[in-house]
Amino acid sequence: MHIPDGYLSLSTCAAAYAAALPFWYIAFRRVRRLLHTRMVPLLAVFSAFCFVIMMFNLPLPGGTTGHAVGVGIAAIVLGPWASMVAISVALLIQAVFFGDGGITTFGANCLNMAVAGSLVANWTYTLVAGRSAPDSTRRLVAAGAAGYLAINVSALLAGVEFGIQPLLFHDATGAPLYAPYPLSIALPAMMIGHLSFAGLAELLISAGLVAYLQRANPELLAFSAPGRSPRLAAAGAWRSTRSLWYALAGLMIATPLGLLAVGTAWGEWGTESFADAGARQAILRASGNVAPPVAAPHGMERLAGVWTAPIPDYAPAFMHSAGFGYILSAVFGAGLILLLLLVVSRLVSGKATPEA
Amino acid sequence: MSEQYFVAGRHGPRRGFVERLAGDLVAVFDHALDAEASSGRRGLLQGLDPRCKLVAILALILCAVLTRSLTVLAALFLLAVALGLASGISPARLARQVWLGVLLFTGLIALPAIVLVPGAPLWQLPWLHWSVTLPGLRSAAFLVGRAETAATFALLLVLTTPWMHVLKAMRALGVPVVMVAILGMTHRYLFVFLQTALQMFEARQSRIVAPLAGAQRRRMVTAAVGVLLARTFQLSADVHLAMVARGYRGEVHLLDDFRARRRDWAALSFALALPAAILWSQR
Amino acid sequence: MSDDVFELADVAYRYQDKPALDGVSLRIRKGDRVALLGANGSGKSTLLRLLDALYFPAGGELKAFGVPVTEAALADDAINFAFRRRVGLVFQNPDVQLFNPTVFDELAFGPLQLGWPKERILAEIDGMLDRFALRPLKDRAPHRLSGGEKKRVALASVLIMAPEVVLLDEPTASLDPESQAEVIRFLLESKGSGRTIVTATHDLDIVEDIADSVVVLADGRVAAVGAPGEILDDAELLKRTRLAHAHWHHHADGAVHAHLHSHRHHHDHHDGPGPRLISGKG
Repeated sequence: MHIPDGYLSLSTCAAAYAAALPFWYIAFRRVRRLLHTRMVPLLAVFSAFCFVIMMFNLPLPGGTTGHAVGVGIAAIVLGPWASMVAISVALLIQAVFFGDGGITTFGANCLNMAVAGSLVANWTYTLVAGRSAPDSTRRLVAAGAAGYLAINVSALLAGVEFGIQPLLFHDATGAPLYAPYPLSIALPAMMIGHLSFAGLAELLISAGLVAYLQRANPELLAFSAPGRSPRLAAAGAWRSTRSLWYALAGLMIATPLGLLAVGTAWGEWGTESFADAGARQAILRASGNVAPPVAAPHGMERLAGVWTAPIPDYAPAFMHSAGFGYILSAVFGAGLILLLLLVVSRLVSGKATPEA
Repeated sequence: MSEQYFVAGRHGPRRGFVERLAGDLVAVFDHALDAEASSGRRGLLQGLDPRCKLVAILALILCAVLTRSLTVLAALFLLAVALGLASGISPARLARQVWLGVLLFTGLIALPAIVLVPGAPLWQLPWLHWSVTLPGLRSAAFLVGRAETAATFALLLVLTTPWMHVLKAMRALGVPVVMVAILGMTHRYLFVFLQTALQMFEARQSRIVAPLAGAQRRRMVTAAVGVLLARTFQLSADVHLAMVARGYRGEVHLLDDFRARRRDWAALSFALALPAAILWSQR
Repeated sequence: MSDDVFELADVAYRYQDKPALDGVSLRIRKGDRVALLGANGSGKSTLLRLLDALYFPAGGELKAFGVPVTEAALADDAINFAFRRRVGLVFQNPDVQLFNPTVFDELAFGPLQLGWPKERILAEIDGMLDRFALRPLKDRAPHRLSGGEKKRVALASVLIMAPEVVLLDEPTASLDPESQAEVIRFLLESKGSGRTIVTATHDLDIVEDIADSVVVLADGRVAAVGAPGEILDDAELLKRTRLAHAHWHHHADGAVHAHLHSHRHHHDHHDGPGPRLISGKG
C-alpha cells in the first residue's frame, strides 16, 4: 500500500503531512527519553527488518501494492510510538535511497502504515491479550489479530486517499490529474489484496514471531505485558497526553460545523455587500432592523482596494465543491472513531495505563 | 532496489521464487554500489553543496507533482535527463534503474485507467469493445509521467551524493538529530540483513532441485523472517554495547564539512523559482 | 598499587541464570601484554566486557586504575568519559562495532562522543587514515569492506581515542593470514610502549608473539596463570581446558603419528626408524 509520487495531489500530501506531524512529535519526544538505552540500535535494526519485509510485494491493479509491513511485531515489541519512528525510518529510506519515489507522499505513507498501523496494532493487541500470561496462546491470537487489523486499516486509509483523487482533481478535459480510480474501484482493489494475502502474511509474521520470542527471548515481550518494567512506565505519562487525544478528537468532530454557519459574521461585510439586495436584507436583520447606508462608506471604499487577500474569503475555490465535503466527512468520521477507541480503551483498562 | 524491481525485474515463469528473491536482494547491493561509485565522480550535481542540492531536488519533485500541464511535465523530465548527463549518468543507466521499473509498475496500475475513466471515446478496442477515452489517456500519462519524473529526480540525488551527506543535509533542514542517526544506522544494518538473507537463500537454492510448492515457500519465508528477527535482537544489544564502549551516552553528534558557494545558491534559486512559477501560472 | 590497571577480586557474573564467571581474581599491571586463553564458553568475552565496564560484576569487586568500577560510579559523566577514553575494546564481530555508514564517520564517532573540537577530530582522523592505510576507503560503507579491512577500521576507530588499555576479543578470528599478520604486528609493536594489552583468544599459535603472560580460563574460573612457554608446554592443562586436541598426522614413511597438538613451534617425531605407530607426548 506504498503510495509513490504522482498518485496524490499536493494538497492531499500536505494534509497528510499535517496529520502525521503531531504523532511524529509525540513519538520523538518518547523515544528521546530512552536514547541512552539500547533503543537507538534496536530501532535501527527493527527499521531495517521492516524494510526487508516491505520489499516483498505484488501490484494490485486499481490500487498500488499489497505487502506486509511488520508493523504488528514492531508495535508489540517496541510499543506504538517507537514503532512509528521505526517504520517511518524504513519508509524514508525506501523513498529516498532506493528511489521508490514517495517523497511527496511520505507523509501519507507514514500516516497509513507507521501511525495508524502502529496505533491499531497496539490497541488490538492490548485489547485482545488483556491480562493473559506473557507466554499464553491468547497472546498469539492477539498478535495475529493486531497485525491483520493494522494492515487492513492502513490499506483502507490508502485506498481512501487515492480514491478521492479523481473526485477532486482533474484538468479541463476531465482527465484525473492524479490517481485515476474512484473509491468504487480503489477501495475494493486495495482491500481485496489486503484482506487476503497481505493481511495473512502480516498475521503469520506477527503471531509467528511472538511465538518465537515467547520461547527464545521473552523479556522482549515485556514491553506490552502487564506489570511493565518501571523504566518504560516512567517513559511516558499517558495521562498527560490523554487529554490531548480527547481534544484532538473533539476538534476533528467539530470541523464540519464551520460549514454549517450560514451567512457573514456581523461587521465583516465587503464593499459589494452594500449594493446587493440580498446582502442588504441580511445586514438589516442582523443589525436590529437598522437599515444600512445606501452606498458603502467613503473610508471603507478607499481602504478596500489597498489589500486583496491571497485567499479571498479564507477559502480557496475548491473548498466550495462537494469534494471538500467528502474530506470533511472523512475527518469527522475519523474523529468519531478516535473518540470511540479512546472510550473503549478507557473502559477496558479501568484506570489510566502508563503507555498508549 | 525498489519495490518496483520486485515486480518488474527479471520476471518469468521459469525463474523460480528463490532465484527472484535472491536476485532482488542482489539488486539492492548493486544499487548501493552504483550510488557510491557515481557519487564519487566529478559532475554537475556531484559538485553542489548537499544542502542546496537536497532542497533543489525537492523543489523539482514538487514541480512534477504540482503541474497540470503534460508539456511542463515532459520538460521537467527532459531537465532531469539533462542534469543526469551533466553528472555522468547516462539515460541508459536511468532507464535500467528507474524508468523500466516504474513503467512496468505504475504502467500496470495506470493501464486500466485508459478505458475506465469516463469521457468522449476515441476508439474502441477490437475484441472487448471497451472505449479508450481522451481523459483516460491523459490521466494515465499524468500518472506515469509524474511517477517517472519524481523517481528520476530522487535517483539523481542519491546517485550524486554520498548517503551520509544526504542525511547530514536533512539535518540542516531541521530533521531531528535522532532521526538522522537512526536513519544512518538503519541503512548500515539493512545491508547486514540483506547479506544474511542472501546467504540463506543461496544455501537453499543450492539444495533445491524442483520448484517449491506454495506451502514450502511460505515456510521458507517464515523461517527466514525468524532468523532475521533473531539477528535483530542479538545485534542491537551488542551494537549498543559497542556504542557505549566508545563513549555514547544518548547524545547524537554529527561532523559535517559543508560549504555553500555562489554556484550552490544560484542552483537553489533556480530550482525554487520553478514551482513558484508553476503555482503562479495556475492561480 | 598505582601500577595496577585492573584488579579483580572474586568477580562473578551471571548471564540469563547461568554463571558465566565464577570467582575470578586477577591483577593486570600497566604495560602488561596479557593473553586470555580459553575455549568457547569459558567466559573470555564476558571478562573483557567486565573489564570495559560494559557489564558490572554480580559478585566480588573490580577495580580499574585503583577505582572500583560500578554502575553508580560510571553514572557520573566525568568518570565515564575518562574511562571510555582510557580503555578501548575491539569486538570480535566487526559488524557490531562498525555501526556508522562510512569509515570516516566510524573514526569520528569516539572523538565526537568525547567532545573534542572539530579541527582536532579532523586531524586525528587524517592521522589514522594514513597509519592504517585506510585513505582509499574513507567514504566507503562497512558492508563493502573485506574482513581484514573491517578489522583495521575497528582497530583504528578504537585507537583514535588514544587509550592506555586496549582489550581485544579474538582479533584474528576469521581473518586471512595476511590480515592476521597485520594484527599481530600491531600487537608486537605495543611491546614496551607502556600500553596495556589484553587479548582474548583460543588461537594458541599466536600466543607467544602477542603476550608476555597468559591467563587460562575454563568454566568461568582461572585455571592457570603463567608465561606463554610454561602454559603452552603444559599439555595436560591444555587438554583439560579444551584448548588442545589429540591430533593425528601421517608421515611419508607410512607411520601415523598421534600426539597432542602442541603449538610450540617444534616437537619430536620419531623414537627410531621404521613404520610404527608412535603415540604419546610429542
